[in-house]
Amino acid sequence: MSEEANNTEPKLIGLMAQFDDPDSLLAACEKVRKAGYTKTDAYTPFPLHGIDEALGIKPTILPWIVLTLGVMGGFAGLGLQYVTNADWYPFIISAKPVWSLPANIPVIFELVILHSAIAVFIGMLFLNKLPTFSNPLFRVPEFARATDDKFFLTIDVNDDKYKPNKTRELLDGLIGQTDVIEVFEDPSPAELPKIIKFVGIAATVVAVVPPILLWRAYYQTSTVPRINPIRDMDVQLRGDTQTISPVFADGRTMRPRIPGTVARGEWVDPIMLTGIVPEIGGEQNVIFLQEEDTPEEGADKPAEDEKPAEDKPAAEEAEGQQPMADDAPAEDKPAEEAPAAEEKPADGEAAAEPEEPEPNWVKIAPISVTKATLERGRQRYNIYCSVCHGLAGDGDGLVSQRALQLEQPTWIPPTNLHTDYLLTQPDGKLYNTITHGIRKMKGYGDQIPAEDRWAIVTYVRALQKTRTGTPEEIPAVEMKELEIKGQ
Amino acid sequence: MATVNEVIDTTIDDPGNRTPLVIGGHDYGSITRLVCGINESKTPIAWYIGMLMSLSLLGMLGGLVGYLIFTGVGVWGNNNPVYWGFPIVNFVFWVGIGHAGTLISAILFIFRQNWRTSINRFAEAMTIFAVVCAGLFPGIHIGRVWVFYWLFPLPSLQLAMWPQFRSPLLWDVFAVSTYATVSLIFWYTGMIPDLATLRDRTDNKILRIVYSVLSLGWTGSARAWSRYEKAYTLFAALAAPLVLSVHTIVSFDFAVSQLPGWHTTIFPPYFVAGAVFSGFGMVLTLMVPARQWFGLKDVVTLRHLENVCKILLATGSMVGYAYAMEFFIAWYGGNMYEGFAFINRAFGPYWWAYWIMVSCNVISPQLFWFKVCRTTPWLMFVISIFVNIGMWFERFVITVTSLARDFLPSSWGMFEPTWVDYGMLIGSFGLFFTLFLLFVRFGPIVAMAEVKSVMPHPHSPVHDDPQAAADHA
Repeated sequence: MSEEANNTEPKLIGLMAQFDDPDSLLAACEKVRKAGYTKTDAYTPFPLHGIDEALGIKPTILPWIVLTLGVMGGFAGLGLQYVTNADWYPFIISAKPVWSLPANIPVIFELVILHSAIAVFIGMLFLNKLPTFSNPLFRVPEFARATDDKFFLTIDVNDDKYKPNKTRELLDGLIGQTDVIEVFEDPSPAELPKIIKFVGIAATVVAVVPPILLWRAYYQTSTVPRINPIRDMDVQLRGDTQTISPVFADGRTMRPRIPGTVARGEWVDPIMLTGIVPEIGGEQNVIFLQEEDTPEEGADKPAEDEKPAEDKPAAEEAEGQQPMADDAPAEDKPAEEAPAAEEKPADGEAAAEPEEPEPNWVKIAPISVTKATLERGRQRYNIYCSVCHGLAGDGDGLVSQRALQLEQPTWIPPTNLHTDYLLTQPDGKLYNTITHGIRKMKGYGDQIPAEDRWAIVTYVRALQKTRTGTPEEIPAVEMKELEIKGQ
Repeated sequence: MATVNEVIDTTIDDPGNRTPLVIGGHDYGSITRLVCGINESKTPIAWYIGMLMSLSLLGMLGGLVGYLIFTGVGVWGNNNPVYWGFPIVNFVFWVGIGHAGTLISAILFIFRQNWRTSINRFAEAMTIFAVVCAGLFPGIHIGRVWVFYWLFPLPSLQLAMWPQFRSPLLWDVFAVSTYATVSLIFWYTGMIPDLATLRDRTDNKILRIVYSVLSLGWTGSARAWSRYEKAYTLFAALAAPLVLSVHTIVSFDFAVSQLPGWHTTIFPPYFVAGAVFSGFGMVLTLMVPARQWFGLKDVVTLRHLENVCKILLATGSMVGYAYAMEFFIAWYGGNMYEGFAFINRAFGPYWWAYWIMVSCNVISPQLFWFKVCRTTPWLMFVISIFVNIGMWFERFVITVTSLARDFLPSSWGMFEPTWVDYGMLIGSFGLFFTLFLLFVRFGPIVAMAEVKSVMPHPHSPVHDDPQAAADHA
């Protein structure tokens, strides 16, 4: 054994008497205590009643520790709920008050129990100096039965009353003792082996690095997108616009409106939408719905764009007119007829007839004309129209100028907005042209809301007035300003 | 050496003589050998077979949980209007089972029912494993399990949210996690001396290190025992109100809502009684075969089993009373929705579940009025199985019938469990029995130190010595 290696006598630290039954141990404890020994202890396989008095063990302070921690747990529960629910996050849920004691009792109660129970556990271990894995008693072979069926009484050599021979005699004289054993100090080195130290330090370092990295990442900004190991709802199955959907029979992800319906909040006066005064008793709802919807055609040709302007039956059925519109773009007359074919795109029967009567165009824009409307119209016109038609409406926009400069053969010069034909056109027809386009001009119905299209119509009227108006029509006040500016 | 009187039939009460809790002429050493022998003997084939079955069920559970996490909670039958299906039924079922362990270790300790020492370790282990099974279901039921920590009040800079302390579901999180923690440390504290016994007996080097670490260097010092016993009493005093609060709060999940059939004040006591009932049912289910296989008939005597049967009879009758009282209040309260909810329970589309529940929970334990039923182990085993089935159906009836038909007939609907629901219910038993089999193989399944402390002291030489006897007095 190692004491031979150290070549030193192991130090005696105590004497131990062994007993076979608990009553002998109790009597022995009593006797030893009466003899004045205090640094004593008994070892039993189960808690022995009466040994506290026999050995003179004082009551433990554990209950006070538990009480303190339990009360602290209660206040922690109370404070946690008050600070967070009533102060930091005062959300009102189910009309419950942000702070109400009855609703907070369960959590307070549970935290009292939790804190107390942990205090019992930790407190008991702490007071018993556990865990202690190295104990000289474990080196005594007989002591293994202390947890089985034997009972032991020890006296420490540091006891004031300890005298080598006298104490030994006392133990030998105890009734029921079966053996007296000397307990020696543990001679093995108290220091931890180097390998354990090394592994411990390495493990600590390794354990600390990831939290530090996480902490750094948490508090720093970065130019690269964050790493998102769990995508949650960032990536999910959904139908994007302009994609094919496996769900619907027609393969469209973007759903056309159901015929004969109008979405909530999207109802617009048909006159406002089409610029046409519907016939009394006619299918006025159908007219404005069909202006944007083409359900039957859409179902037939799923992959194609659903814009009404491009899959109009009129384009195919009224073939005689379409080339005319393309061939004689600058002329006014075909221009009159082309929109006529487009006005009721889904109304196949009407569109098929070449001599379709002019619809009942609205004469004057169905919006109130104010300065704000005109200003809005000017702004929209400058954005959408002026590039071709020119800021003043002369058909000399920058795009047009450039196209002519490049001598583009397919270029059809934009219409001069100051021609007589346009001057006499009803507002509704002008509006219809903006909405659906004419000849090479595309329709702007999808880009410009109806209100703004009417605003553009009124602005175009104002532009025209700048050429046709007479000084008498100008109010006196405005005239004065103009005169001042003119000078 | 043994001075204990041999008593064959311990179920006969003799007022003049205290019935011994351990029979068979055991002394301290033989108790140690008997209990540790279970761990030290060669692993029986039956254990391997049981473990194989449990592990396959556990594997199935693991696979299903993975499937659930990767696919979403839609794999369950939970759907409008029954959003609380099998997961909450299984959760309440398992939590309830756990209650018997704490009741035995805490409340019977406070009442000084010394017979508890033979079965408390076993029952406490059952508590821990049942709570593990219970905790699984709300854990996976939250959908995005990777953010489970949102259940707890952890500070976060990125979430403008915080747990809602006024909600019964949050109370439940606190109650169940406190219950799991306290049960675990109570169980472990109780095991420390027995782990030390195993440590001191084993020759296997690895097991010796494991038991040494687990027993924390326990020596059995009288000073340590003194604090230990105080700690044990404190644990019991804390766990007794805790166990009552846990199922009370579980019942709040239902009772604080306004659904007919749930919104009743009888729920807390009714749930606690049901929990104790189901827990003792499970104790019997486990104990009857275990005492047979492990040769523990001397420690877990017929009298112990009879006492458990008596508790089953008492709590089963309480549960039956609660069922009747629910009906009475539904009629007496005069609320038409409440009245409908109960008529619907017994005679609606789920009538079969209701009558399974009543026959298993109310009628079957009434057999324990007869002594022959209380003293025939196989019969109590059969009844305990019925109790387990009945208590699962009780939670099913409460959860599903109320949700399936609430106020507006237009919002009624039936609950259709999927194969994943059934698989997880069965798989949870795999988890339970895997843990249990590991425990009976490697842990001390009887609280040796506690059993020794309630055994009569052997004859001592001090009593022959007049001088010592005088000192002792």
